Amino acid sequence: MFTRRSLAAINMDPAYMARHDGSEQATGRGSGQKSRKGLDVSNVRNEGNSTNPTPYMQMMFAPMERRLDIAIFRALFASSARQARQFVLHGAVTVNGKKMTYPGYLLNPGDMFQVEIERVMAATGKPKKKSGGSQKAPKNTEANENAEGEEGQAAEGEAAETVESAAEGATEGAVEGVAEAADTEAVKSKHFETLKELKIRAQRIMKVKNQFIRAKEKKALRKMLVQVKETLERGRKADDPTVAEMDQAERQLTDLLSGLSLSSNQHSTEAKKARIELKRQQAIQGPDIKKSLVGGGTIRSAQLGLLTPNQRNVLLKALQLEAENPYDSSKPYATPWKPRDWMSPFAFIPRYLEVNQKICAAVYLRHPVARPGLSEVPTPFAPSVSQLAFNWYLRRG
Amino acid sequence: MPPRIRGGSCQPQLLLNYLEPAPSSILPSAAIIPLHRPTASLPKCNRAFSTTPAPQITKLRRAFKEWCEENEEMFRQHPRDRHMNYIGTGSRPFPNNPNFRSEPVLSSEARKMIWEAIMVKGMPLKAVSAEFHVDMRRVAAVVRMMEIEKKYEREVTNTCRQGQPLAHVYARAIEKMLPRQDLRDGEDKFEPINDIHVHSYTMQQLFVPTSESREFTRADAAKAFGEHILPPDAKMRIPELVQMEKNIAEGMDERDARGHFIKEAAESEQAFAEKQRARAVAAEGRKTRVNTGRFEFRFEKINAEDVGPTGRARKAVGWRYGAPHMDRRRGEVKIPTHVG
Repeated sequence: MFTRRSLAAINMDPAYMARHDGSEQATGRGSGQKSRKGLDVSNVRNEGNSTNPTPYMQMMFAPMERRLDIAIFRALFASSARQARQFVLHGAVTVNGKKMTYPGYLLNPGDMFQVEIERVMAATGKPKKKSGGSQKAPKNTEANENAEGEEGQAAEGEAAETVESAAEGATEGAVEGVAEAADTEAVKSKHFETLKELKIRAQRIMKVKNQFIRAKEKKALRKMLVQVKETLERGRKADDPTVAEMDQAERQLTDLLSGLSLSSNQHSTEAKKARIELKRQQAIQGPDIKKSLVGGGTIRSAQLGLLTPNQRNVLLKALQLEAENPYDSSKPYATPWKPRDWMSPFAFIPRYLEVNQKICAAVYLRHPVARPGLSEVPTPFAPSVSQLAFNWYLRRG
Repeated sequence: MPPRIRGGSCQPQLLLNYLEPAPSSILPSAAIIPLHRPTASLPKCNRAFSTTPAPQITKLRRAFKEWCEENEEMFRQHPRDRHMNYIGTGSRPFPNNPNFRSEPVLSSEARKMIWEAIMVKGMPLKAVSAEFHVDMRRVAAVVRMMEIEKKYEREVTNTCRQGQPLAHVYARAIEKMLPRQDLRDGEDKFEPINDIHVHSYTMQQLFVPTSESREFTRADAAKAFGEHILPPDAKMRIPELVQMEKNIAEGMDERDARGHFIKEAAESEQAFAEKQRARAVAAEGRKTRVNTGRFEFRFEKINAEDVGPTGRARKAVGWRYGAPHMDRRRGEVKIPTHVG
């Protein structure tokens, strides 16, 4: 498997290839003419290559990179090569669309391998906490109430984290809109109010989810997700958010909450009242309402209990994030998904792979090569160590 | 054989020390201390029935722990405001290995751009590769995987089938950790697109006497290394680019040269596709398909004598009398060598 002849590649610049046939390097005494009349070799360069020596010694383990399990690890689909090996053995990996159970399968250039998305999420996501029991579904309601002190807090913390992270991303997007508004402070406070409401809602959803034992409730959750998706799509299509659309979005939200019996009756009645009031207002003011909402009318709309376009965007974005990365106790990793600890300092993808993270697939483009000053084999060892190893294992007669 | 390291897991002297005092089973494990040895020198063993000494914390290990505690904030979770978060300087994940760099990957926008250029605008692969300075194989891979991604998305949204949701969260998190390029104007070239392998024959030093007046070109050098060695001109992945540069050097307008290049690239790709198609048709022509409803039999003509001198030629078909199967031989690798 191992060879002392490592692969190396040199870039041939088309501009150089077109203008020179290589004979300029053999002029004079055989190594190119220097600064005499005519051509100076030192000005002629084959661009795209560094002047450093090619690190052949660092390429010792290049044949290992061809193995399927190592390639999966390099594509950041597993947190170690051993875990990648397990994925292959457990039948979670396909090569060119066919299940492959040999971790030692040597990939050919052009092979596409794909790992089950759930496995990748479990391998790269934060593990579930063993203690605390916040991930477990309690057996009866009494126990749930008793444990609320602990579990509720844990869930609350997580929920707060999600909402906050969502809010941070969303508020950035909303900054432009805020600048337009007359009273920035008021708008800010409105944002916070929206976020608080979101937080409460997330907590409610979680509490309900903890009790998911029956299929009926699962069905309800699915229904809710579909509704969320519809809302989001409608929001995406609308370039100019009108009052009616905002109204619709809010109505859907309340529907969504009442469908899961998450909201108290008070909440829905409030929303209803707001809607009625809005309609009344619309009837009185006619076309002016839109202008007032876009311009300095944020305070009024807040009084009505409605969402401004910015708030709506914030809410939609947060909802989208929540839909993409929901809390789900049935998953084998901590939800909402977050990358594993200590992952980022070791996150890199070598050039011989092209990875599509969304479908957890990667193509093995070519064998790893050494270029001047650069080796594509990821090894933590210094060149001196690699050289000794190379001499010991491969050069010794 | 690799060099042996002294002091493996089997250490008879330590084992003896543990066995000597023969303590009663009531005593806790801390009391199991050899009588004639000082307490401090022995590693603490918290497993009551294990005779293997617990591994001592070495200085290096301690230093590592300290380092971890010091740099926990920086490296445990990816900081929001940073692109890369490597231990080494710049884009070097391994501080001791200056030859390995974490090279940028294509951002999702860049991938989308490539997909659009191929699938929407219908540009030839070579032209896209030259435009974005992305290897042709990578361009093909990007398009291939994007198509699958789109298929999955359609499955998830359109049908009632519970389609597998895509790993958007994972993709976003990974993209934040990696250096990436958007393939916009003004960025560095993504990667060399016309690289050639260094042939092992060319790695030796040759002394070839020639006359001083002779133009000793790349083609001559290739011939000097071996009759079958191709010059770099014949190995270029996109030879049309060289032709374009030649046209420019001869004074052709750059835009015209570019148009020529795209035309040539499209033609060469069409010719290649035609060749593939002809090959597939020829292969199909050699086959006779008989569909019985339950099975489809495919008959192909073979020459039974075409088995080579040992009777085990690769193309040989069927089991031959007297030639034993080698697939049960020790060390015979049965991992498939190619898929689909």
